[in-house]
Amino acid sequence: MTHLLRQWQQAWRIAEMRLLFLALLVSVIAVSSVGFFTDRADKAMQGEASQLMGGDLVVLSSRPIDTRYLAYAEKLGLRSAESISFPSMVSANDKMQLAQIKAVSKHYPLTGVVSVSDNRSDAGKRIAMTELQGQTIWAQARLLIELGIEPSAQVQLGQMTVQLTQVITAMPDQGTALFQFAPHVLLPLDQLPATGLLSPASRASFSQFFAGDADKIAQFKTWLKPQLTVSEKIRTLDEGLPAVEQALNRGKRFLGMAALLSVILAGAAIALTSYSLNRRETRTVAVLKTLGASQRLILQRYLSQLFVVASLAVLLGVSIAYLVQITTLYLLQDAIGQVLPPAGLMPIISGFLTAYIMALGFSAPQLWQLTKTAPIRIFQQQTVLSPSYAYIAVPIVAGIFLLMWMQTQDMVLSVFLWFGTLFAIGVFWLIATLLLSSLRRFRYITALSLPKANTRIALLVVVFGIGLFSLLLLTTLRMDLIDRWQATLPEDAPNHFLINIQSNEREAVQQLFEQQQMSAALYPMIRGRLVKINNMPVSAEDYDSEQAKRLLAREFNMSALDTLPENNKITQGTWFGKNLTSGFSVEEGIAKTLGVKLGDSMSFDMAGQIYHAKISSLRSVRWDSMQPNFFVLAAPNSLNTQPKTYITSVYIKASNQDFIPTLIKQYPSISTIDIGTVLKQIKTLINKAAFAVQAIFSFTLIAGIIVLFAALQSQKAERRKEIAILKSIGASRRYLRNSILIEFTLIGAIAGFIAAVLAVITGNIAAYLLFDLTPTVNLALIAIGVGSGAFLVGIAGYLNIRPLLKVTPVALFQE
Amino acid sequence: MSVLDNISVQIPYNTSVAITGASGSGKTTLLGLLAGLDSPSVGKIQLLGKEISAFNEDQRAALRLGNVGFVFQSFHLIDNLSALENVMLPLELNRTSKAIETLAHTALQDVGLENRINHLPNQLSGGEQQRVALARAFVNRPAVLFADEPTGNLDSQTAQEIITLLFSLQQRYQTTLVLVTHDDALAERCHQHYHLVAGHLQRRKLS
Repeated sequence: MTHLLRQWQQAWRIAEMRLLFLALLVSVIAVSSVGFFTDRADKAMQGEASQLMGGDLVVLSSRPIDTRYLAYAEKLGLRSAESISFPSMVSANDKMQLAQIKAVSKHYPLTGVVSVSDNRSDAGKRIAMTELQGQTIWAQARLLIELGIEPSAQVQLGQMTVQLTQVITAMPDQGTALFQFAPHVLLPLDQLPATGLLSPASRASFSQFFAGDADKIAQFKTWLKPQLTVSEKIRTLDEGLPAVEQALNRGKRFLGMAALLSVILAGAAIALTSYSLNRRETRTVAVLKTLGASQRLILQRYLSQLFVVASLAVLLGVSIAYLVQITTLYLLQDAIGQVLPPAGLMPIISGFLTAYIMALGFSAPQLWQLTKTAPIRIFQQQTVLSPSYAYIAVPIVAGIFLLMWMQTQDMVLSVFLWFGTLFAIGVFWLIATLLLSSLRRFRYITALSLPKANTRIALLVVVFGIGLFSLLLLTTLRMDLIDRWQATLPEDAPNHFLINIQSNEREAVQQLFEQQQMSAALYPMIRGRLVKINNMPVSAEDYDSEQAKRLLAREFNMSALDTLPENNKITQGTWFGKNLTSGFSVEEGIAKTLGVKLGDSMSFDMAGQIYHAKISSLRSVRWDSMQPNFFVLAAPNSLNTQPKTYITSVYIKASNQDFIPTLIKQYPSISTIDIGTVLKQIKTLINKAAFAVQAIFSFTLIAGIIVLFAALQSQKAERRKEIAILKSIGASRRYLRNSILIEFTLIGAIAGFIAAVLAVITGNIAAYLLFDLTPTVNLALIAIGVGSGAFLVGIAGYLNIRPLLKVTPVALFQE
Repeated sequence: MSVLDNISVQIPYNTSVAITGASGSGKTTLLGLLAGLDSPSVGKIQLLGKEISAFNEDQRAALRLGNVGFVFQSFHLIDNLSALENVMLPLELNRTSKAIETLAHTALQDVGLENRINHLPNQLSGGEQQRVALARAFVNRPAVLFADEPTGNLDSQTAQEIITLLFSLQQRYQTTLVLVTHDDALAERCHQHYHLVAGHLQRRKLS
């Protein structure tokens, strides 16, 4: 212990070791607080998704669910709840309305909340589900509007008269059932028999919800899968509805990328500090060698010092990171609007690994080289070794990759970013060197380094540049990508689905929309069951995949269109045109699930008629677009003889609440689905992800500024000498101050320019490859890059060197 | 071109030898070779009865460990170690004794710095730093001490004090001293005096 303490004490006396410690500390804080944060945000997002489902795992069936499932779940200690839902008419004041009745057990929902209000217009509040008891029901506002009643009214539900006490403003387990078009009604499960509504002929859907520890849920799922009958299916967070899943994955990728950038920044700081430590310690190694120390002994000495420094950085860094994220979350409690679940051990482990990988990968190779210093160098004035860059670079690039992979847990993303970083460093170095040599002709603007030390300045440009690049890339990702994605879900994104529009109502409905100045495309919808692939009969039994089994067990909603919907993209083959009057365009995910490819044929049974065609294209679909989307599209006019209805999605303003009831009165067969709530939930989810990225962004910014200072500090000795010489030959303080300001502002502007251009390019590549967005050029970002680079570097450089201006030339020499 | 040419010299135990010469005459190169800090391209060097010219760097280091001390013109103290820690360094590297702190303390007492033991090199004057260097050089009683211009960076009075201290310690511990210097007066205090001219070694008679 005393030995370790003394090692720490001796290491602490070396300025570079202090910097190394600081750099390691910052990287551990960055990585661990990002880790703590993403871990918690990730869990919160998972929680959010599970709130939409009403449980962590749901078993759905068209028949009562096997009681063995519940028994086994109870044995595992899982919580459970159940619901039975079915459509039924609700009447009041001689009016009738179709509603989706959901009879729920008292623990429903296991995840998420039901918010209610005691009037039709208020925002919801959360009240205990235990208040839903006896002969009471809660219902969504539309039921009250349709029936022309107010809360506390008596309504008839089957054979029972019940009181409608609360208006449901939000509830889980509806996002997963988009096509349940009637307003929801919640009824206590124990009251269901009294209504007399549930008979063996009822088209009821039975759900059993389970929630508990992730490993217990996984264990339950493994046990459950082989037990399921064809009519039963399970839904877990990973298999939730596509919109939620896509939003969740997008959020995770964002957080992963943000974390990664702080890792790259920290890496730059460590490498830089190790480099100057190496230069500084050459003489010490020569002294140790003259005293008889072997290379091994010297390496041991440095490694143990490095170990002590890294270990302390880890201990302190992880503790600070924990406090940082607790404080941040505490301060932002209101903004987040919920308590995030606690973090796991992973961020601590990644903090540990980061510090040791960095210390070893970035520092140890330089130390190894250092230990090779020949003892005879003790007699030489110039004791600094010129390092072998390849020797240093290989472990660093390997280390960066390891850290990236550790941070993202995503090989593809790591490879992409790793090459991006290497490419960026190369480009930075090249452009910086070119720009600086062209600046040499302007040597009169500064007496300091520009005309003399090109390599040193190029190094600064690369370091600042990478720091700024990371920050700007994050800015472009945050500003551009989130905004661009959100822009695809604008405020007036459709909030209602209208289905079951009959063919003879189509034109009238279209006219009604036009009168109301609403834009909505009506898509024909034809139902068909897949019966053959390549003329071979297929059934659910032919597939192992649960999703494929489900697809074959039900009817597809298909459409026939002449233009490709906006949120669809052809990935293989060609879209229907004049030359293509038959064929199918299949969503690529479903094609993979069913094992079909371009050119295969499919046969659908449509109301007894078999329709057969070849797959002429595969499409990718943005499921979260809030537009009607179809797994299978047929060529235009090819399904003219099939019975069809129409579907559309439309944005209805809050002020136009009566539109839907009026429409339904006029066309009673049309059913509407209020997806405004689902949309709101998805938006909340995205906002949470964006917020998490913003918080991480601020940590990265701090890391970036410290890298800047580390870089400046590592060159301070040379600067000190330079200023001493200039002062001794008569340079005034004012002249030196201006020179410093000009030099650093210029460096910052150059670094900022290169960084911004590269960030725009990389951001666009990422947007295209990872997020499927169209490239755009953000000129404002380039201006921000140049401006913030010049400002940050100018100020930081000036602040760092200003103390040297006050010292007399003699004192500078003595130091 | 060779820096040193056809040199043959034998230095007996417990004697002091001065090597003088003009700048660039090869004094430091010779000292480095004698101490095993470097290897000759041609020729043989024996140190303490071992032929070090056939050794690799680590073998030469192992031989120096505990047997050889150094004093340099620019002191070469390790600046993140206190005076005491600098003196303890050779003992720590040698791992010979458990009482290294006491030994280092005594060595600092011998050079009159018992009150400055916890000071860092940059808190000490040039003369004090060279005293610490002397304490470090003598702390493990080396058989041979190599000194390279030990007074080169000091004023004349301090230089005189350091020289007196150096010779008194050398005699007390019966150390063989190899001293490189510009200073003929200092060379005169040694048992033997060699002069290097253009890579050739000439023995000078002591007055």
